[in-house]
Amino acid sequence: MNNKSFRNLAKPYVYWLYILALVPVFVMVILSVLKSEGIAFDEMSFSLESFTLLTERSTLVAFRNSFLYAFVATVISVVLGYFVAYRIFKSKFNNKFLILTMLILPMWSNLLLRTEALGNIMEHNNILTDLLSRIGITASIGIKGTPLAVIIGLVFTYLPFAILPIYTALEKISYSLEEAALDLGLPEMKKFWKVIFPLSIKGVVSASILVFLPTLSGFAIPQILGKGNIVLIGNVIEESFRNMNYNFGSLLAIIILFFILGSILIISKTDKEGETLL
Amino acid sequence: MTNNYPKATLEEYGYKDRKHLKKVFHVLGNALVVFTVIMMYISIFTLAVQSVNSSTDITRFESFTLKWYFNMFSNRMLRGAIINTFIVSITATLIATILGTFIAIGINAFEKKKRQSLMLLNNIPVLNADIITGISLMLIFSLVLPVFPYFFGPFTMILAHLFFTLPYVVLSVLPKLKEIDKFLMDAALDLGVRPYRALLKVVIPAIKAGIFSGMLLAFTMSLDDFVISYYTTGNGFNNLSIWVYGSIGRRSLTPSVYAYSTALTVVTLGLLLGNHFFQKRRAKHHG
Repeated sequence: MNNKSFRNLAKPYVYWLYILALVPVFVMVILSVLKSEGIAFDEMSFSLESFTLLTERSTLVAFRNSFLYAFVATVISVVLGYFVAYRIFKSKFNNKFLILTMLILPMWSNLLLRTEALGNIMEHNNILTDLLSRIGITASIGIKGTPLAVIIGLVFTYLPFAILPIYTALEKISYSLEEAALDLGLPEMKKFWKVIFPLSIKGVVSASILVFLPTLSGFAIPQILGKGNIVLIGNVIEESFRNMNYNFGSLLAIIILFFILGSILIISKTDKEGETLL
Repeated sequence: MTNNYPKATLEEYGYKDRKHLKKVFHVLGNALVVFTVIMMYISIFTLAVQSVNSSTDITRFESFTLKWYFNMFSNRMLRGAIINTFIVSITATLIATILGTFIAIGINAFEKKKRQSLMLLNNIPVLNADIITGISLMLIFSLVLPVFPYFFGPFTMILAHLFFTLPYVVLSVLPKLKEIDKFLMDAALDLGVRPYRALLKVVIPAIKAGIFSGMLLAFTMSLDDFVISYYTTGNGFNNLSIWVYGSIGRRSLTPSVYAYSTALTVVTLGLLLGNHFFQKRRAKHHG
């Protein structure tokens, strides 16, 4: 497999990535220290106005919210995702591909439609409570617009991103290691904590990052489920680009990018070839 | 009379009978999986209920109807959005699958150090925030605008989808390439096959599973994308996500879109389960 001429197959991809992933970062860095109308460079001037906007209370609140929500959603998703991945891994059902595909199937329906539907059943009066009331059950929760609603939305949406990498990592653990642990007399619980969990840590790291990053920067879910009460950093970025304030938007994007680069470095430390990312 | 001594039991050696505890854990675990799957499908279920509701009111169920299923394609805007979504996703997925497979083979041929730095670069589109990817691509495409004023549209959207689906294909093909026998290629070459022909005839069939799962992932990601499409589309070219976003803003979401979504889920689920049982039956016959 080490035919060196095959390397040529990957070379154009490197340029493609440089142009589409790295050049925009430079454009954004330049935009963040300018004052311009959109991306029209003819009437631009040097300005640090974006940096002063950064210290505004609303921006700081958005940053704090983003980290808090992303952290809580990540912890819940990874813990829940681990349980589910472990159960699937241990189950005797032979077509595990079927279960895994069923878990990503909801993603085939549009994210916004799903979120909107979830938002509807979070209102006091909704179609499910209406149906339930006909058979004599009155139950309703009116949590739309609250932090809880946003957290629930984030967890439901990003759970597959937590389950899949953990499952991949678990599947790579050789059964002979488990047998060895049992031969040495480790009870079930100890076997899990001493053998299986440490070997699956790569998957846990990937899962955390795959949930943390999109929740940190998403804007559709907080907008729909938070009813505008909860502003995350993604909402601020989206708003600045919508209002043609590309300068402030770029600055915020670069700040988010720092966290993403940090995560990429963490991933490359625990998992050098990015194999458990999916 | 040595055999009068009582036999030592396992408990005396410190063995604790945790069979009951194990059973409790087992049941709890399964309940949790079922709970999670229900939670993930609850919004899908709500959409399904709304799709057979004769009223457009999302708070009340009036009576059962299938009219939204028939209206699905008579709403011109919705039909256009659905068709655009499939055109973009299928085109991007097919190109990404083919290119991604060859790129993965290329990356695999590099030595370790170089391969790792390439994978670092490959992970950027996967890990990057959607909104940043969207804005980045918009900025890059905007730079072309002075030359091609009508650049934004289906072409830019497909390019954008290609950008974020390619890494998924690479990520699922690469591990499979490492799993296959190192000497498989050498054997083919020894038999006198040319390298690229060996690639097509020997290597690609061996990594079929990885290519397929990469394709599935790429399609899933592309079909569900909103943010990146939102920033890279041109005037008048809507995919389903953009159309839904606009309709939610105008509070004019037609139940036909629920019908479409439900139909898509039911058909895919049907195909999946059908395939499962078909394979099971075939296995039994051959068994």
